[in-house]
Amino acid sequence: MKKIAAILLLVFVMVISAACSSSSSSGKPEKTTKSNGEWQPEKAIEITAPSGAGGGWDTTARMAAKVLSENKIIDQNIGVVNKPGGGGAVGWAYIHSKKADPYKLFITSPPMLLVPLNGQSQFDYKDFTPIANVIADYAAFAVKADAKWNNLNELFADMKKDPSKITIVGASSPGSMDHIQFVKIAKAAGIDITKIKYVSDQDGGALTQILNGSADVYSTGVAETVEQVKAGKIKVLGVTSEERLKGDVLSDFPTAKEQGIDATFVNWRGFFGPPDMDKNAIAYYEKKFKELSDSAEWDEIRQKYGWDEMYMNSSEYKEFLKKENNEIKTLLEELGLAK
Amino acid sequence: MDVFHGLLSGFEVALSLHGLLFVLIGVTVGTFIGMIPGLGPITAIAVMIPITYGMDPALALLLMAGVYYGAAYGGASSSILLNAPGTSEAVATSFDGYPMAKQGKAGKALATAAIASFFGGTISIIFLTFLAPTLAKVAISFGPPEYFALMLMGLTALSSLSDGSTIKALISATIGFMIATVGIDSQTGTPRFTFGNAHLLEGIDFLVLALGLFALAEVTSLIITRKEKVGKSNTIGSLKLTKNDFKEITPTVGRQSVLGFVIGVLPGAGGTIASFLAYISEKKLSKNPDEFGKGAIRGVAAPESANNAASGGAFVPLLSLGIPGSGTTAVMLGALMVLGIQPGPLLMGDHPDVFWGVIASMYIGNILLLVLNLPLIPYISKVLKVPRPLLTSLVIVFCLIGVYGISFSTFDLFLLLGFGVLGYIMRLVHFPASPLLLAFILGGMMEQSFRQALTISNGSLSIFFTNPIACVLIIIAFASFLVPIFKTLRRKAKVDQSVDM
Repeated sequence: MKKIAAILLLVFVMVISAACSSSSSSGKPEKTTKSNGEWQPEKAIEITAPSGAGGGWDTTARMAAKVLSENKIIDQNIGVVNKPGGGGAVGWAYIHSKKADPYKLFITSPPMLLVPLNGQSQFDYKDFTPIANVIADYAAFAVKADAKWNNLNELFADMKKDPSKITIVGASSPGSMDHIQFVKIAKAAGIDITKIKYVSDQDGGALTQILNGSADVYSTGVAETVEQVKAGKIKVLGVTSEERLKGDVLSDFPTAKEQGIDATFVNWRGFFGPPDMDKNAIAYYEKKFKELSDSAEWDEIRQKYGWDEMYMNSSEYKEFLKKENNEIKTLLEELGLAK
Repeated sequence: MDVFHGLLSGFEVALSLHGLLFVLIGVTVGTFIGMIPGLGPITAIAVMIPITYGMDPALALLLMAGVYYGAAYGGASSSILLNAPGTSEAVATSFDGYPMAKQGKAGKALATAAIASFFGGTISIIFLTFLAPTLAKVAISFGPPEYFALMLMGLTALSSLSDGSTIKALISATIGFMIATVGIDSQTGTPRFTFGNAHLLEGIDFLVLALGLFALAEVTSLIITRKEKVGKSNTIGSLKLTKNDFKEITPTVGRQSVLGFVIGVLPGAGGTIASFLAYISEKKLSKNPDEFGKGAIRGVAAPESANNAASGGAFVPLLSLGIPGSGTTAVMLGALMVLGIQPGPLLMGDHPDVFWGVIASMYIGNILLLVLNLPLIPYISKVLKVPRPLLTSLVIVFCLIGVYGISFSTFDLFLLLGFGVLGYIMRLVHFPASPLLLAFILGGMMEQSFRQALTISNGSLSIFFTNPIACVLIIIAFASFLVPIFKTLRRKAKVDQSVDM
């Protein structure tokens, strides 16, 4: 009897410790800067994905951690920790409490700008240290294969006539990425963005709504559309990249720019650190993420997910974020969503 | 490639040494993960992604699929033995499973769950094998108005979840609806009832609510009534199902497997909703609905066959359309992309080894699960022999760690305690907790699809009636709501006595 209780307890402890092992590296920031101003990590590094397991942030972080350790780019252990909640806000609050700790990085992307602008996080991008951006992904706007529109201009012409007839669907709520990426392009095309009819549907519902005709336009990431286009179920009216994307189906997608709409939207993804990070530590990570970005293994991962290469070092990153933030802020203010 | 040829080639993959090994690992891990509250298949599969990197995609998917349906299997054990559901799919199993365990029939309850799971799983794989491309059409036939009507139909069953006062059931359901509105509203992006707290922005997790209302409330009353005679609760009883038991559960398993499968096919609905709807419809169909909630064997068989059938159904939109219908299948889709396979309408033609390999592995996985689970029952159920004080503390620890495992935040622990207190108070004043949970599960989706439908129709309610599926579902909903009211009125007129509570 006692034996079984003991076994149960043991299994239990094992599972729990397995679940929590990645969060074991805590402790105060240590001064590890050598006299010559170079910084080397002396213990395990923790990368936070401010979302649940399995999402875009989580996947990018786990893949980066894998390549960084397997290619021996960084010799220390790298653990990925999930801090879900508040669309990132819970994770950001956690990192913010780790001031200057060079062992706590996190992965982030446009919600880092959108969530605070929507008034859902007390910390915004300026409260953290942007270290390096690594990849770019783009939005695609798709319609059912037999829809009457063949390009963005035809769609926008109909939207100008009667905005109440066209429903846009995305997986996230108004004011977040799927909505804003469409709004940004629509605005450049001269649409009254306050009249856009947008519904959000999670768990695969958005694509379903396009296929069964409940909604008309699907605002999503480029990768999500490829297989459906190959199968002839949907067609992509436009993507938000600067130039045509490379790849087998991808190169067929026209950009908004080549259709005369002067706007782009980048779903950038990169790594940030806590506030007041030491500049030598920043320099160290910039170099390591550059190595990651240049590695053949990372290139392979990029291709599998349909991501683009977009490396920016810390100072380029800051400039880029400032510009992006201003653009998004203007859009949200016009929509009445900015707080 | 015809079905039989495809299936044969699938078995070639699944019956290879590696195939068998990965299925075995998958279902074993899944079973244990299912048993432990908070550790869900999503986490397990996400952690596996880097491990599966570079593996043969067919093998990787059958490993992950094993974890997925294995968890639907394992979830029943802690529901039945401890009233602490291991996964949200297993919550409905606790309604009758736990009373059975309390009556000293834990062995029978666990065996019923295992057998119902096996048949539910197997029936759904047979459907998946032969009908996947056809059913893909069903999966996308549901738009916002249809979902709203389906949820509405589910809700009319609320009254059947109450043991006594319908008013109390409705009050309890209202609380459930209110809790479902907490968080960012996805149609407007506005935070509701979050009181400025970032932890509430994504809403409240179903498991936090269920563990609080069921497990913690149960533990509390166990502690408070500890001086009373225990009864037979620490005996396990016979594992064997009698002929009569089989006779009783066979039709249940048959129809609820079909129901579960269909609900599983619909993106966004999934095993939790399937198990609740199965439980309720079984109770409605039963000649003695009063037995439900007090240890009816059909009350265990129904949700267990439905939730396993639903996990098979979820593969229809994933494999034939590339649409993930749930969080877990979304993670699997991500994992497959890493392996260079993009599930979608072309999967069956481009990668038949993956498509058929997974389907074939599910037949084997289900048999393995049964073989694995039945002999384990006597050992697992020994947990009931743990002395009461130890067991109650173990359940509390279970709940706390499980909830912490969902979001790694201590805030959720306080929520759990809060719901535990709420659950205990509800027990004291005889408010049923299950309508609250049902309203919580259906309410969120119902509200969202209602508003999506209205946005699409520019505010016109006609969208619900011009749409045939939605219209039929709404009529059924109203009928099943009104018929019992007439019945009660008639009975009241006849008996003309106050019913004692």
